[in-house]
Amino acid sequence: MIAITIENLVKKFGDAVALSGITLRIEPGELFFLLGPSGCGKTTLLRNIAGFYIPDEGRILFGDEDVTNLPPYKRNTGMMFQSYALWPHMTVAENVAFGLEERRVRSADIRQRVNAALESVQMGQYRERKIAQLSGGQQQRVALARALVIRPRCLLLDEPLSNLDARLRLEMRSEIRRVCKENGLTAIYVTHDQKEALSISDRMAVLEGGRIAQIGTPEQVYRRPITRVVADFIGETNFLKGKMQSFDGEKAVIETDGGPFEGFLGDPDWKPSTGDEVILSIRPECWSLRGEPAAGNAVKGRIGESIYLGEVAQYILRTAHHDLKIFELNPHLSARCQGQELFAVASAADVVLLKP
Amino acid sequence: MSRQFSILVFLLTALFFALFFLWPIAETLCGAFVGSDGKFTISYIAEVFRNPLYLEGLWNSLQMGVWSTLLAAFIAIPLAWLSDRFLFPGKSLLGSLVLVPMIMPPFVGAIGIKQILGQQGALNALLQDIGCLNPAHPIDWLGEGRIWGVIVLTALHLYPILYLNVLAALANVDPGMEEAAENLGCRGLRKFRRITLPLIMPGIFAGGTIVFIWSFTELGVPLMFDFTRVTSVQIFYGIKDIGGNPFPFALVVVLLCSTVLLYVGSKLLFGRDSYAMMAKATSQGGPRKAGLALGLLCSGLFALVTFLAILPHIGVILVAFSTDWYQTILPNGLTFSHFEAALGHNLTLPSIQNSLKYAGLATILDMVLGVAIAFVVVRTRLPGRQILDVMAMLPLAVPGLVLAFGYLAMTQEGKPFAFLNPTIDPLIILVIAYSIRRLPYVVRSAAAGFQQTSVTLEEAAQNLGCPPLRTLRRITIPLIAANLLAGGLLAFSFAMLEVSDSLILAQKQQDFPITKAIFELSQLLGEGRFVASALGVWAMAFLAVAIIGTSLILGKKLGAIFRA
Repeated sequence: MIAITIENLVKKFGDAVALSGITLRIEPGELFFLLGPSGCGKTTLLRNIAGFYIPDEGRILFGDEDVTNLPPYKRNTGMMFQSYALWPHMTVAENVAFGLEERRVRSADIRQRVNAALESVQMGQYRERKIAQLSGGQQQRVALARALVIRPRCLLLDEPLSNLDARLRLEMRSEIRRVCKENGLTAIYVTHDQKEALSISDRMAVLEGGRIAQIGTPEQVYRRPITRVVADFIGETNFLKGKMQSFDGEKAVIETDGGPFEGFLGDPDWKPSTGDEVILSIRPECWSLRGEPAAGNAVKGRIGESIYLGEVAQYILRTAHHDLKIFELNPHLSARCQGQELFAVASAADVVLLKP
Repeated sequence: MSRQFSILVFLLTALFFALFFLWPIAETLCGAFVGSDGKFTISYIAEVFRNPLYLEGLWNSLQMGVWSTLLAAFIAIPLAWLSDRFLFPGKSLLGSLVLVPMIMPPFVGAIGIKQILGQQGALNALLQDIGCLNPAHPIDWLGEGRIWGVIVLTALHLYPILYLNVLAALANVDPGMEEAAENLGCRGLRKFRRITLPLIMPGIFAGGTIVFIWSFTELGVPLMFDFTRVTSVQIFYGIKDIGGNPFPFALVVVLLCSTVLLYVGSKLLFGRDSYAMMAKATSQGGPRKAGLALGLLCSGLFALVTFLAILPHIGVILVAFSTDWYQTILPNGLTFSHFEAALGHNLTLPSIQNSLKYAGLATILDMVLGVAIAFVVVRTRLPGRQILDVMAMLPLAVPGLVLAFGYLAMTQEGKPFAFLNPTIDPLIILVIAYSIRRLPYVVRSAAAGFQQTSVTLEEAAQNLGCPPLRTLRRITIPLIAANLLAGGLLAFSFAMLEVSDSLILAQKQQDFPITKAIFELSQLLGEGRFVASALGVWAMAFLAVAIIGTSLILGKKLGAIFRA
């Protein structure tokens, strides 16, 4: 188990800056996610850690060892590629044995470790198959075995589940977490799928335009996004505009077009003053619908479209100034008809205030 | 791979090209543009355009190029279309046979065609036998219209290049495009003209350019037909006094400029590699089974073209087996003695050895250079890599005749490369000449291999602890082995039967490769043409094996190698 430290990493491609000063510490044994929209630099960062790119500035440390300029084949990382990158001219067993052969492991040990690795991903009986004879999920397991069998210092995963169907994806993501935790591996996992990140990560970093927008646990990032982009990218949300009325160092009161709202700042370092423009982020499931008006944190509107999904219903509430998206759990759709006038209320704890 | 290594590869290959591609051309340009007083002059070039003999030569060369290309297209496009659309009886066999003409340099076939179409040849004998021709006045089929003999023979030799290109282009057309046209009411020939033809145009021009450059500067066929009034032959004979006469230089420069202009022009006009197909084919296209009549028509057409194209070679084979063949339809008697003679003659066995040596070394050089260049072009981001890419393709635009002439010019006494002069030992210069000319095929097939092989396969190996050079050996080379094998086989076979470099650069009898031996033998009176034919048949059999092997490995992808 090692910690991975990234200090002020800069990577440019010609004039385009892909990473502008990334600083990050990943704790030993942590399953850490890099998340963000495409083009945010998350894959570039992973490839810097793997050694496929050499950064223009900054350092990468594995434990205490500076690996910044080390070529990829000397880093001893296990990587899972989005396309799996299994070699089609070798069998399953040969693919898995490759890294051990490169490490000059004795052939008896190789056989034993390959078998163990394949067993651990339930691929023992496919040892002699060619790669083309495997399904996507099986290829994925072989790729995982190949990365793990060398006992890497850390596991790097580049969107490993994006080529699988939805059901297999659910199964494999808990499998990946189990394997990481059983082997006590420090793992870095790149994805653009927020569900994957929320469900199995210890911590995650959301990247935005080559910078880290936010680092935190799934709950921190979901409940207290620091920027508008993070709030928008992780989960769904409604943005409302408003002006700062008062701020007591913790709770703030905002005047919006629909009335006053109380809420908390997303960015703890932000010191807004009275009269500043503010964006309110309120997630669809944070609203509750009721017939009678409330004193604050409420807007009046009429039900627009509604989508019934069984356990949840999604409504569009048309207010004077916005269309709000509202989710209602355990819905009774027959009680809600189109055009019905309702009040949507959100508790102050669910209102996040962001810089515009 | 490490940047230093890439830069080293880049510099070495660039140096090789500068020395053995640009330098000979520059030397030729000097000879054409620098007067005896050492000053720049265009008087030699101007003189070429004033001299009626040279003008006629150029005009004939142009005709040779244009008509051969058109004829080859006329043969190749319908065949390719039929092959793309229909399954017909004997398709796989006929589809391979139709490529066979490529395996023989047509100048060997010329021996056979003279035997068939000459005044005392088989056709006249046939016509006399059935009473259509008065024996006292035999028709000289090759007399006045000798240029047509050259054109037909060249076209019948080169159409497979176009056929493969068009076939590859057709295979790339999304059937949905044509279905959309049909859905909108456009059918049959009209659909072919409005949809299919424009989509395969880049393929046609890619192949057509190569065919044109090849036939425009063809040396062997006109030489064998004693058709001396074409530029290539005029240059060949001018080489004897290369030391003092500037006009061969001027002629070479005119040829070079015409081909380069054409190459660049067609690149600019039709430069797109191919139209990007928007989507993967949604419906399974593929050829459909032709009805009986149509199927037989297809088979018949393929058989006819193949027959016509290998007729000269059949002639060669018959000549090789015949005791004598004069004024009869078929040879008067059959014998194996020429094959024995061919193996016993003091020209032949050494020539086979020489060819194997030259072609083998050239292929090895090609493989090394080809993989290195393809690697730098596809796998690195070095700033100059596009230049390298263009450079590696340029030998397609520069006729072999021009380069061979340049090599001769740059190794004359007093020049820095005089130590490579082929009259001393042509080994080095021939190997280089062979390899430069075939390099585009090897680079192209290696580059295709690199492109089809995802970089992540290499990255995965490095991630697991495999250094770059070993990754190349353990992962990349095995994955692109089929491409390399195909490119190498092709380079080897073409080098074995290379004509212009061999005729020009091999000057001493003990250094002759097969082609020059065949040429020299055919010029001998008496047994000469029989022994030459027998040697030709040996070469033919050998090459057939190589080409069929290549096409089996590559399948339809074979066409992609013959692109400009």
